[in-house]
Amino acid sequence: MEGQVISLLMSNVESIPGKNVVSSLGLVTGSTVRAKHIGKDFFAGLKNIVGGELKAYTELLNESRNEAIQRMMMDAHARGANAIVNVRFATSNVAAGASELFCYGTAVVVE
Amino acid sequence: MSNAVSIVIYAVSGIFALLPLWSWALGRWYQAGIASKLMENEKILGSILDDKMSVTTSKKVSMIGAEYSTLLHVSLCVGPSMGQMFFMWLKSIFGGRLHSYDVVLDFGRREALLRLKQQAAERGCTSIVNIRIETSVVSFAKTQKSKQASVEFLAFATGIR
Repeated sequence: MEGQVISLLMSNVESIPGKNVVSSLGLVTGSTVRAKHIGKDFFAGLKNIVGGELKAYTELLNESRNEAIQRMMMDAHARGANAIVNVRFATSNVAAGASELFCYGTAVVVE
Repeated sequence: MSNAVSIVIYAVSGIFALLPLWSWALGRWYQAGIASKLMENEKILGSILDDKMSVTTSKKVSMIGAEYSTLLHVSLCVGPSMGQMFFMWLKSIFGGRLHSYDVVLDFGRREALLRLKQQAAERGCTSIVNIRIETSVVSFAKTQKSKQASVEFLAFATGIR
């Protein structure tokens, strides 16, 4: 399953606009914990001299969030859903140097 | 010869001793640059989007006839400069409004919203509903001593065409 890209319909409202929800299959979740390698940390530290956007962190969080979404989709796919509604995101700092990215939603079948 | 060496030593120690000051000045200049760029982009995108796209935090919009929908999400990390952090530390002794943090956070939030709209425009969405913006502190610093702080802004919404 790993490496296979699944694409389901997603939205953060109660339904998929323009489609009818047929049945609900319950909560699906996806999460990932990421840390940075020390080299990138060093460059982010240099960027801290002027402030502004820290691109290295932005990239890291984006790719980790995509991974979390991918896991959530795999979870939904395994249940036979073809869409996820009411998607929410949460980020938390679980330890020094690591961040957890978590997303959850309701798996549904739409037509 | 020794004269030249001492000049170099003075210069280097000057750079390091006044690092907060340098950083503050450089940071002010750099951040003013990116803020004006953001304002320009907002104007450009605004003139394209305003009449074509409706942007709302509400869920209750007419979705009848929607043929396409997608989840949009954008995140970005911003942080104040070292100099700003130093002066904020000084300021926090007395408390009160931390102006430089205001500016940095405001920039991050607006930039996140702008990118969300750009993403929607790229995918051909005509309206964005149920926008949510979340803020969280991320620090990937390996030690507690390191003062590197950054704030992540996550904006997500549903785009409809």
